Amino acid sequence: MIWHITKRELYDNLNSLRFALTTVLLLGLMLTNAVSHLREHPKRIQKYNEAVIKSLDGLASHTDDSLYMLAQQGPGMLYKKPSPLYFCAEGGEHLLPDVVEGGSPFGYSDNLRGVWKLKYPDANINMKRVGPDVTKADWAFVIGYVLSLIALLFTFDAVSSERESGTLRLMLANSVPRHTVLIGKFLGALISVSIPFTLAVLLNLVLISTSSVVHLDTEAWGRLGIIFFTAFLYTCLFLALGLLISTRVQRSAVSLVILLLVWVTFVVFMPSTLASIASEFSPSISSEPRWKRHNEIQDELWTKYDKWLWTNRTEKETLTAKSEFFTKDAEAEERLNREGLTEKVAQVQYARAITRVSPATLLQHLLESFAGTGFERHLQFVENTQRYARQLREFVADTDKSDPESLHIIGVREGMTKKKILPETVPKFEDTLDFNKDFNTRAMELLLLALFVIVLLSGAYLAFVRAEV
Amino acid sequence: MIGTLIRRETLDNLMTFRFAAAVFIMLLLVVANTFVLITDYERRLASHNEAVKMHQRQLQEKITYSAGAVRVDRPPNPLSIFNVGFDKRLGNEVRISHGSVPSLWDANMHESANPFMDMFASMDIVFIFEVILSLLALIFAYNAFAGEYESGTLRLVLTHAIGRGEILVAKYISAMLCLIVPLLMSLLLATILLTTSASISLNNNDFLRIGGIIFTSIAYLSVFYLIGLLISAATRRTSTALMSSMFIWGFLVLVYPNVILTVTPRPEAPDALRTSAFNQIESIWDTFDRERKHYLATDDFPGEDWGYELKGWGSRGAYFLDNARTLSYTYRSTMDFEGFGEEDEPKMPHAQKHFGFLGAQTIDAADRTWLIRKPTLEEIFIQPANMERIWLKLSPVGLYDAATQAWAGTDLLGIRDFFHDARQYRQSVISYFYDNKVFESRQWFSGDKGAADWSGLPQFSFQRDDININAKRAIPDVCLLLMINVVLFIIIFLIFVKSEV
Repeated sequence: MIWHITKRELYDNLNSLRFALTTVLLLGLMLTNAVSHLREHPKRIQKYNEAVIKSLDGLASHTDDSLYMLAQQGPGMLYKKPSPLYFCAEGGEHLLPDVVEGGSPFGYSDNLRGVWKLKYPDANINMKRVGPDVTKADWAFVIGYVLSLIALLFTFDAVSSERESGTLRLMLANSVPRHTVLIGKFLGALISVSIPFTLAVLLNLVLISTSSVVHLDTEAWGRLGIIFFTAFLYTCLFLALGLLISTRVQRSAVSLVILLLVWVTFVVFMPSTLASIASEFSPSISSEPRWKRHNEIQDELWTKYDKWLWTNRTEKETLTAKSEFFTKDAEAEERLNREGLTEKVAQVQYARAITRVSPATLLQHLLESFAGTGFERHLQFVENTQRYARQLREFVADTDKSDPESLHIIGVREGMTKKKILPETVPKFEDTLDFNKDFNTRAMELLLLALFVIVLLSGAYLAFVRAEV
Repeated sequence: MIGTLIRRETLDNLMTFRFAAAVFIMLLLVVANTFVLITDYERRLASHNEAVKMHQRQLQEKITYSAGAVRVDRPPNPLSIFNVGFDKRLGNEVRISHGSVPSLWDANMHESANPFMDMFASMDIVFIFEVILSLLALIFAYNAFAGEYESGTLRLVLTHAIGRGEILVAKYISAMLCLIVPLLMSLLLATILLTTSASISLNNNDFLRIGGIIFTSIAYLSVFYLIGLLISAATRRTSTALMSSMFIWGFLVLVYPNVILTVTPRPEAPDALRTSAFNQIESIWDTFDRERKHYLATDDFPGEDWGYELKGWGSRGAYFLDNARTLSYTYRSTMDFEGFGEEDEPKMPHAQKHFGFLGAQTIDAADRTWLIRKPTLEEIFIQPANMERIWLKLSPVGLYDAATQAWAGTDLLGIRDFFHDARQYRQSVISYFYDNKVFESRQWFSGDKGAADWSGLPQFSFQRDDININAKRAIPDVCLLLMINVVLFIIIFLIFVKSEV
């Protein structure tokens, strides 16, 4: 019986104006998305490759010189790898920095130079851009805004119009349980929305995967699968909402007005308004106390090591003191850099947590994570660089240890091995994405979305069971 | 007769659920957001005041003229609450120096506490209107004709001796009356909230600007109402009219403004132009450098050191600064001495004469650089941006946004006025320097015989233009909106007159 009702709904929808308009709109949007991605992505990849080659060249030249130079200069710039799924969610990538600096040892004087440390650039605000602001027409936009609106347009009159025309009474006069009717309607609407959406997605993916500039591997396809599933869930949410309101309200016009206002509030306004409110309430951040602490630590180090620093003697005590001074100074600065970042990240995380009330934000977060863009991805990248920094430091220490002639004092030329190191043995930074980790961190949001759907669906069910026809 | 019609229509509209919903949602969103926006504005104002104080302090601390950096700050615009435009995005502090002419591309931003927070889109009142007003207008319009066709009341009305034009006008006026109520209510509430906030002081011109924004909002509202009427008259069935309205709304408000710029061809970066302009600028400064060296070689003092081998207590530095991307190029020499030994005294007159020469030369080179830089920057940055803006204006949403930005003074031109004022301020600083012979003075490089006196420096204050300028910038877009109104009205009239009932 469910299947009969679904089929009837489906035929009704397929012949309707809204189905035609939806198909045109979604196909147009996805086509635009694919074309612009194919235009932009090669540039992004090229920029990344050039930057990485330059950075690796620097690393090779330090390695060529000596282990000391490597220990002093560090790995140089570490770049974030652009995701091939950029077209799914832009995720504010243009604002997030794509690099972590691992270099710039502090020069205390001409012949006294410290060791490298990690430095995290701030978000880049482009003050030179005088053009209008635009959001990217990525999948997150198409699904988050357009598809949700379409889902509402397919369900706002599902029950109310039948009630108006009296067919509902007719149908229920047969021995059809009410939940069957509701599920049939839900499935009918879901299938009719899915057809144009799936078509549009397929068109988009065909265009992108057949071009030679973008390579999608198995993992990327897995991610796309999850993104598609998320979109499905999100659509279900709005379909359920549409059914709920449609059942509760006597007239379809009223139902549409309510739905549109709810949609506008939750999808368009909530995300940014809530973020603004959250940023009002979170404690303000100031870099001043951090700088004060930085200066204190440095003063302390200076007084402790001052007597050894300005001599050129090469006995072990002086060298060890110098090495300790360099390492401690770099460590302290790196820690302060990390704390600064953590503080800012905490504020953003707080705002992001609050905006999760809106399903549109939930979807945005999910899509960002699975597309490998956005804020969480940036944090993962930062973590990768930190892991790499440890790895490189360990490598330097181990290589030095393997040479018995060396004094094993890192950061001072006289204290380290003079042996040549093979450039191949030096670990290289590679930015990776961890699918499992993404899935684990996002599982909660996925479940929250599913929970919304279930709550709304059961709400619709209860409303329909109790409704008078 | 038309009076009766208007009364009937107005009552019909007022009694509906959609009217109540419209009032409720508009008030809720506008008031909630105004609170947030006012807090945000207050924070920006506080940070502006802090920056002004800090810059003044930093300037006062410098004991020589050459070491002092005069900076001016752009205050946040209180009307950015209505349309934020570029107010938060473009630089808000710029250095005034005799060696370079300040422009938008030399500006910096006060340190923001957490730039990552900019990831969240900011929202202003005009954005709320863009989305909600258009939606409400369509909801009010979709069954204006289609509903009456279906129920047959239109036929009934037309049996009376009444023109079809009158019916159309009556419908238009009554619906607009109903729609203006929530619009005015929410805008008035927002204005009341603005005036009660202690940190915001609005003057007469600001109220006139808000008036301009209200007028533009009404024109925008009317465009969407007429679009709805057109659909309603053309389709003749309520459900079709509703569906078409919603999809047209989605396209005009949601899709077009966000998608159009990714579709349109991006203008190629005019690299050749940039390079040639930069070469010209470089040659200006090469000439400057040659003349500088020539002076040092030929003056009475032996040696070619620009610092005249002064060995005092303090610091000195001289360097060229350039940026090929923004075409900036300047020469900076700073000397910050607290005192000198006996042997330096005879060198002083030579040094003073040299700095007098150098000051005039630098100003001349900077002015000539600006002559090349200005048109090139215009072509590289402004013109492509203007092209993008024209694309956006093909939708009424873009027109409305542009017009309200112009009224609020947060459009690009409004922001550029600040830099225009900054350039004028640079001129007055330079003439102050000339009048007081600052370049030739000993305080230019040394504070030992009295520190530099910064108190006489002319004060900078940025006055926003009077309302006429805003009006002049907004009028074209407002006129276009009105024109769309008239055209739509005529089309609807034609369709309605010719239609069979």
